[in-house]
Amino acid sequence: MDFPAVSLRAILPAIVILTTAALVLLLDLLPPRERKGHLAVVSLAGVVAALLATTWLWGGESRAFRGMVVLDGYALFLDLVICYAAGLVVLLSMDYLRERGLESGEYYALVLLATVGMMLMASAGDLIVVFLSLELMSLSLYVLAGYFRARLASGEAAMKYFLLGAFATSFFLYGIALVYGSTGTTNLDRIAASASRDSLMMVGVALLLVGFGFKISAVPFHMWAPDVYVGAPTSVTALIATGSKAAAFAALIRVLVTSLRSTQPDWTVLLWGLAAATMTVGNVVAIAQSNLKRMLAYSSVAHVGYMLIGLVAGGVFGTGAVLFYLLVYTFTTAGAFGVVLLLEHAGGEGVSLADYAGRARRHPILALVLSLFLLSLIGIPPFGGFVGKFYLFGAAVRSGYIGLAVIGALNTAVASYYYLRLIVYMYMREPEGVEAVSTPSFAGGLALAVALVGIVVLGVVPTPFIDLAQAAVTPLLR
Amino acid sequence: MSTSVWLIPAFPLAGALVNAIFGRAIGRRAHWVAVPATAAAFVAACVTFSGVVRGATYTGQLYPWIVAGALKAGVSVQVDQLAAVMLLVVTGVGFLIHVYSIGYMQSDPGYARFFSYLNLFVFSMTMLVLASNYLLLYVFWEAVGLCSYLLIGFWYQRPAAAQAGKKAFIVNRVGDFGFGLGVIWLWTVAGTLQYAEVFARAGTLGRATATGIALLLFMGACGKSAQLPLHTWLPDAMEGPTPVSALIHAATMVTAGVYMVARSHALFERSGVALEVVAWVGGVTAIFAATIALVQTDIKRVLAYSTISQLGYMFAAVGVGAYTAGIFHLVTHAFFKALLFLGAGSIIHALGGEQDLRKMGGLAPRMVPTAVTMTIGAAGLAGVPGFAGFFSKDEILAAIYDGGSLGLWSLLLLGAFLTSVYAFRLLFLAFYCAPRMSPEAAHHVHESPTVMTVPLMVLAALTVVTGFAIGIPSGEGTLFAQFLAPVFPPHEVEHGGFGAYALLLLSVIVVAAGFLLAWLLYATRPVAPEDLGRPRTPIHALLFNAYYVDRMYDAVIVRPLFALSVLLARGFDAGVLDGAVNAVGRAVVAWAQGLRRVQTGYVVNYALTMLLGVVALVGFLLSR
Amino acid sequence: MQTAVFFAIAAIAVASALGLIVRRNPIHGALFLVVNLGSVAAIYLMLNAQFLAAAQVIIYAGAIMVLFVFAIMVLIPGKEETGPDPLRPFRLVAIPFGAFLLVEILLMLVVRPAPPREPPGAEGGAEAIGRLLFTDYLFPFELTSVLLLAALVGVLALAKRKA
Repeated sequence: MDFPAVSLRAILPAIVILTTAALVLLLDLLPPRERKGHLAVVSLAGVVAALLATTWLWGGESRAFRGMVVLDGYALFLDLVICYAAGLVVLLSMDYLRERGLESGEYYALVLLATVGMMLMASAGDLIVVFLSLELMSLSLYVLAGYFRARLASGEAAMKYFLLGAFATSFFLYGIALVYGSTGTTNLDRIAASASRDSLMMVGVALLLVGFGFKISAVPFHMWAPDVYVGAPTSVTALIATGSKAAAFAALIRVLVTSLRSTQPDWTVLLWGLAAATMTVGNVVAIAQSNLKRMLAYSSVAHVGYMLIGLVAGGVFGTGAVLFYLLVYTFTTAGAFGVVLLLEHAGGEGVSLADYAGRARRHPILALVLSLFLLSLIGIPPFGGFVGKFYLFGAAVRSGYIGLAVIGALNTAVASYYYLRLIVYMYMREPEGVEAVSTPSFAGGLALAVALVGIVVLGVVPTPFIDLAQAAVTPLLR
Repeated sequence: MSTSVWLIPAFPLAGALVNAIFGRAIGRRAHWVAVPATAAAFVAACVTFSGVVRGATYTGQLYPWIVAGALKAGVSVQVDQLAAVMLLVVTGVGFLIHVYSIGYMQSDPGYARFFSYLNLFVFSMTMLVLASNYLLLYVFWEAVGLCSYLLIGFWYQRPAAAQAGKKAFIVNRVGDFGFGLGVIWLWTVAGTLQYAEVFARAGTLGRATATGIALLLFMGACGKSAQLPLHTWLPDAMEGPTPVSALIHAATMVTAGVYMVARSHALFERSGVALEVVAWVGGVTAIFAATIALVQTDIKRVLAYSTISQLGYMFAAVGVGAYTAGIFHLVTHAFFKALLFLGAGSIIHALGGEQDLRKMGGLAPRMVPTAVTMTIGAAGLAGVPGFAGFFSKDEILAAIYDGGSLGLWSLLLLGAFLTSVYAFRLLFLAFYCAPRMSPEAAHHVHESPTVMTVPLMVLAALTVVTGFAIGIPSGEGTLFAQFLAPVFPPHEVEHGGFGAYALLLLSVIVVAAGFLLAWLLYATRPVAPEDLGRPRTPIHALLFNAYYVDRMYDAVIVRPLFALSVLLARGFDAGVLDGAVNAVGRAVVAWAQGLRRVQTGYVVNYALTMLLGVVALVGFLLSR
Repeated sequence: MQTAVFFAIAAIAVASALGLIVRRNPIHGALFLVVNLGSVAAIYLMLNAQFLAAAQVIIYAGAIMVLFVFAIMVLIPGKEETGPDPLRPFRLVAIPFGAFLLVEILLMLVVRPAPPREPPGAEGGAEAIGRLLFTDYLFPFELTSVLLLAALVGVLALAKRKA
């Protein structure tokens, strides 16, 4: 038999994380069995090792496992984004879980397995691999969303996420089948080579977009997001909002830009509508929210809309803008959820807008940090959010989608209202009720510091990162 | 010269950082950091200015900020005559207001925080002026907005202050939305954002494109400089501490729009239409705000509407191509309006926080320095011959008359009359008619400390001498115009000759008439406080409520948007308004009744929405 | 002929899927699912994918469905959960149906239809699939094991009595 060469090098970061997951499961069985802090440290070490592996592989370009896996700058760039997201989530989880007495090896193992899925989504060279890694990620996240079994909302979130996720997956799978039916292959390059545009292909593309649309929570496939974001443990929410979105975008971009190039004029129009609807619905509905996690959920929906603008614009510029924005978005959103997590009460309360009244008085540093993240989300310089938006809208205008850029810019004006309202609540309202002052732990502080440094660096010296993002998408567009 | 240029923003930035980080330890000594920092910036600005006077201009880059393919925008600065003038005003007036704040904010618990913000503002404003490309301009455009928001909401314990801060920010975001788009559009058509390159290529832009870009940029200017229809935030911004009103909302930040339009004159000229829009928006705003200022009873709101009106004059000047006149008015206005605000602050300080003109009066004998300096300021504002405002306003009126736009000219002449009326009304009501405050309040009236009155005197001196020093028209234009000649194309204004003198005479008559009217109404007989605030006629009510613009925006924009949000939230997502209760209830039901319940419950609705999306997507792609 | 058979099987598959959704009784649902899985297996057979068909029957219709039924039995015990069966009299129909099935099988033995015209295609057999799984599809195959690991860990995390 003609076995394919097993080149683990191409999936080294994912292998590192997978090994760590196995290690965590093993260590979980060994003493000390009461305290699980060391498992988080091991997980973190694994993520850092994966980061190092990514940088070590930098510049490499190869295909492995008969084209199932692609190692290129694009995959490596997203590995970076995903590793940062996973690392921040692990850091944030440590004390969050311990305070609630819910630390366990399974939690960290599932976070790591989800990360493996995300990384493989970014480097998938075949629709089968896209599907399997998407399922690996989703399955882990379904369980993680329901991890607080004692909390009803958590179970409800997991159930909803699972049911709707399965619903979306069926469409996605059907889409793969139709694309296969039209082209006779599931390999991304060979699909591109067939340049098919028949009706099978069209419906297949639509269904693939449905599946991806669900994972990135684009309107109208976003309905699950608010419920799941609110119900899931906040650390998991951060992972769903950042890592899973980045991974879904990674696969979406690769599939659209490389293999579905023949249908670009068709899906561009579709994405135009999705982008406009997504950002508008996300921002407008966010205004009415009184629960912070829910508000951030809609805000993250809106940000997906902004990122879709870059895909519509296309080219090195537009696609590079999406990647850069993903990086900024990951730091900002993980940071914002991190602050919410640190201020959350043990029972899951304390995430309503009213709870944040006067928070600046009690937690001056956390309030300041959250304000900075919110300013980045609005798109105020000198934070990364500004450069990202400028770059996205610039790409849109450059490609002639002025209307979309106008809608986007108008949306940022609307969005500033509800972000600012939170800042006003924190700084300009009297605190209500009494509340124990807890100081964030070292791990939580470190996570916030990393995220904060991230958005400032991306805002002040964005050029190297923009170059990286553009270099990453260049091979896709060849 | 390069060092002195970079030092101008560096000092205030360092001051802001020191006070922000060590504020708690520094406490009451914060001014020992902030005031020297601003003074040093002023000195650096003077050095830079003297260099520019000798004919040297400077461009330099700190580092390339965004380089993405064709898009290059660095952290780069340029100093030319226009920037040098602006820098002097910003750091000079800024320094005086810092000194004043030592006295005014004396007993405030947020002393260090205040000075930190104030330094941060001076840094941002100097960078805004120094920026040599549109992207950097935009960045600091936002930064000064942020400082303004922080300082308006400085007394956040007052709900009104918090509300006003938020309003300022959001209204400015609306303007900045246009500004940002304009910058992006400009970059896509010109391929660069560097001023020099953009202006060099301005001639090659299509007229429609230039108009579009210029109008979008002007939209940002409308927000920042509180012009119609985005003016509503400025009167509310008076909730901030008075030194802030003086520095940010009168002398410097609000003039950034004028500066930007003047700076971009090549673009606006290429369009033509855009310049006309600028002129008319300015003219209409000038008279619109002046009428409102006639009837306001809060001393700071009178000054706020007056600022909006005076900014209108500047835009009108810039709009007819009289850039030097506009910038000259910007400078003189910075002096006399800062003076008026600081004087008002001195009164408020003396009356223990009272801002209501109805409860003032007869203050002149008790506060001589304040009364004298404020009289000078009011004379400057009204345009009494000899004072700075007279020269600059006359320059504007002459330029517009020469430009042939008689309609605009008569509008602004009427505005000058109204300006004179409300300036002297304020003066009479505060200082020169019978006291209307309660006896115990009257008992406590005292002159402010020296640290507050000295800045008033300096500004008063500037109001008196500026006009004579650099504003006297001659054959080659004023000294000021000659200085700015390298930046702006010469604007032909005929000085001398019968027409010019007739115009001059006319504006003097108008000012005198305004003074007489104010004198008759408010100084000849005692004014009953209850007569002032109560609208007696529909027109009075209309003016008193500022034409109901705020209420209109609330009804037309704010409420519908909210309604839409709630509607969408209800339709799309069942758990919004009383979300917490519903979520728990639903979860209990779901778990008690098992999986089936969830399936037949809301999840089905979610899935149905998704199905709708599926049908739409498939249908769309299949139809192609 | 083939087309007709296909449509017949497909109709059964669709009808049983509908039955699965419509029936409120979980056991009925499970049985409909068995029918559905079986008809899909038949379609696999028609496509010459014998291995897949066998796997479908053995793993899904066999093992997994048994697990499903057990789970339903354990979780929803008692009659009041399933509700009184309004179609109880129809159970008698089972007798003639059983008899009919017996007759069919007997008939099959008696008639002995001709052997299939084509021998089983090489591509659908176990060997071919095995080859593919260990060559071209090695990576997805291995990835599936990771997926199963995640599922295992997930179940553990959810099922543990006390976290």
